[in-house]
Amino acid sequence: MTTRSIAARLGLMFGLAATVVLAILAVSLFLFQSYELQRHKREELSARLVIIERLSHQASDLKHWAYFRDKLADFTPEDGSLYFAVESADPRFRVGERFLDQATFDEHGEGFGNAILPNGQRYLTVAHVLPPEGDRPAVRLMVAAGQRDIESAEWLLAVGIVVLSLVAIAAVSATGWWIARRGLAPVDRLSEYARRLDARDLTLRLPADDLPTELDGLVVSLNEALARLQRAYEQLNAFNADVAHELRTPLGNMIGETQVTLSRARSTDALESTLQSNLEELERLRNIINSMLFLARADRGETARDLVEVSLHEATTKSAEFMEMLMEDAGLELRIVGDARACVEQSLYARAITNLLDNALRHGAAGSTVHVDIADGPDAVSVTVRNQATPIPPDKLAHLFDRFYRADPSRTGSDQNHGLGLAIVKAVAQLHGGSVFAESRQGEVAIGLRLPRVPRTDPPSRPDRPAARAARDSALPSAQPSH
Amino acid sequence: MKLLIIEDEPKTAGYLTRGLGEQGYSVDHAANGVDGLHLALTGDYDAIVLDVMLPGMDGLQVMQSLRAQRDTPVIMLTARDQVDDRLRGLGAGADDYLIKPFSFLELLARVQAITRRGRAHESTQIQVGDLHIDLLARRATRRGRRLNLSAKEFALLAALARRRSQILSKTVITETVWDINFDTNTNVVEVAIKRLRAKLEYPGETKLLHTVRGMGYVLEQREEDAA
Repeated sequence: MTTRSIAARLGLMFGLAATVVLAILAVSLFLFQSYELQRHKREELSARLVIIERLSHQASDLKHWAYFRDKLADFTPEDGSLYFAVESADPRFRVGERFLDQATFDEHGEGFGNAILPNGQRYLTVAHVLPPEGDRPAVRLMVAAGQRDIESAEWLLAVGIVVLSLVAIAAVSATGWWIARRGLAPVDRLSEYARRLDARDLTLRLPADDLPTELDGLVVSLNEALARLQRAYEQLNAFNADVAHELRTPLGNMIGETQVTLSRARSTDALESTLQSNLEELERLRNIINSMLFLARADRGETARDLVEVSLHEATTKSAEFMEMLMEDAGLELRIVGDARACVEQSLYARAITNLLDNALRHGAAGSTVHVDIADGPDAVSVTVRNQATPIPPDKLAHLFDRFYRADPSRTGSDQNHGLGLAIVKAVAQLHGGSVFAESRQGEVAIGLRLPRVPRTDPPSRPDRPAARAARDSALPSAQPSH
Repeated sequence: MKLLIIEDEPKTAGYLTRGLGEQGYSVDHAANGVDGLHLALTGDYDAIVLDVMLPGMDGLQVMQSLRAQRDTPVIMLTARDQVDDRLRGLGAGADDYLIKPFSFLELLARVQAITRRGRAHESTQIQVGDLHIDLLARRATRRGRRLNLSAKEFALLAALARRRSQILSKTVITETVWDINFDTNTNVVEVAIKRLRAKLEYPGETKLLHTVRGMGYVLEQREEDAA
């Protein structure tokens, strides 16, 4: 079945089913009918045999036998469809010699048998042996009825059944095809609706109300997928607007400041100061662009490379060391509890932890403790950074990891924080096949990431990895460039 | 020290030539891969700065052809932030790479690191003005006053002292001191410098640790500051 049309396939399948059913029916009907015809024939023959047997009882001498013979001749039709015959050792008591001599018999005793004439005509026979009576010796009475009528009836029946079956099969196939076409009309309608969907109007959905229940699930799923795409598309649009906005401020600063500086003759110091200010803005731009490129890596579905199995406690401690001075200055204490092993790209992990600690530092209550809890779960390990902070309402919690999202808009403007910190944490988790989470309860905000517990690298190749990495690092005197 | 810059973008090539020239290098420039390869094979360079995206013959091809004959140290510049390309560059024999947009200070630091290779190892005693640093004993003194530095503070001072009179960007500092090689968007370096400065420069003492706005920090004795 190579056809791709569902209606045609269903029609064909209906036809096949009808063929099978009708074939069984036709054969059964034919066999039953031909059995009935045979049975009827046998009964007829038996009745005739009974009649001639009765007549023969009176013919116990030659005179009566001649009368009996004439009677048999009267009974025998001209068309050869019926023969009466008597076999006997005494030739005077024989009847129907011509038939007896020409035909071949498969039965020579009592009861039913078959006979065939040299011209191919077939006969059903029935015979009865009469014991001697009076002058008459023992004789065998036989009635033979031609099968031609049955054969032609059977032939007619077979042809009729076959022709009717073929017509029926064709009719069933055609009806099946038509029903399928009718039944699939909603699908055509659906595709008609789907053709109208495009990016110009993202709110368009497939109508679910006038469709059969079987398609409900499909339409609901498709509509959900459309809603997700709409959200993603809108997010992307908003993101582009955010990017433009983020880039606009430093660019505007640079253009304005340069123009103001160049509009008058300035001292070298003033020119230098402008250049320095420009450089600061440029660094900010570079930072944003590099962060965006990094996020794009995760968006493209890339995965982390250079995975090394590490103790997360040690890796976290290393990042914490970097943040140590800031913590001290902010009067925050840091406590790292627990350990787990995971395969991570170390610089990415350090980047995520640094950002999480930085976030805790920005929003944590002064004098409180920042807890880093490392938990080893059955299929994932989690690293949670929690500290006392202003509670974050649930609707904002969901957006914490969005790019350029700031729970508190008043913080905008800090050149250190362009609102990508937690988005980067999320990207790092994604690059490792993990996820992120955020909770706010009982005056504490907990933000963290989950990483898969079972490493995706093959265990045999792992021992080589740290060595390979070390070799590469030594080839790079100043390590990897910043992202 | 002779450097070759193979870069087709005129502005980039211009500032690299000027900047590296001012740092005491003698710089040649080629604007395409074919000329660049020819110069690289015929001239005697201490290091080559090679752009990946070049007209005609791209940077990776230049790299491969060059490596077949010479092993001049090469730093590749790539605009594509793709690990594959970076690794390909290194696989072709590049010694280091930088992603565009890169900072000039980072490039300078890498060029210095590459050309310094093979030199006799540095001295373990560094003197900057009246500041004396003993890298082995991990001790810093100023006119007999022992500076009470934490491990990271000493590492920071040592990094600055090893490249005294050179501007170190914040990125270079985080890499050297904390082994952190990404932009952190934190002001850790500022805080660390502030702490170091408080211990290094008591009131009345000569300023040695200078901030170069927008660029980084430099440790040097400046003429106008000398008492």
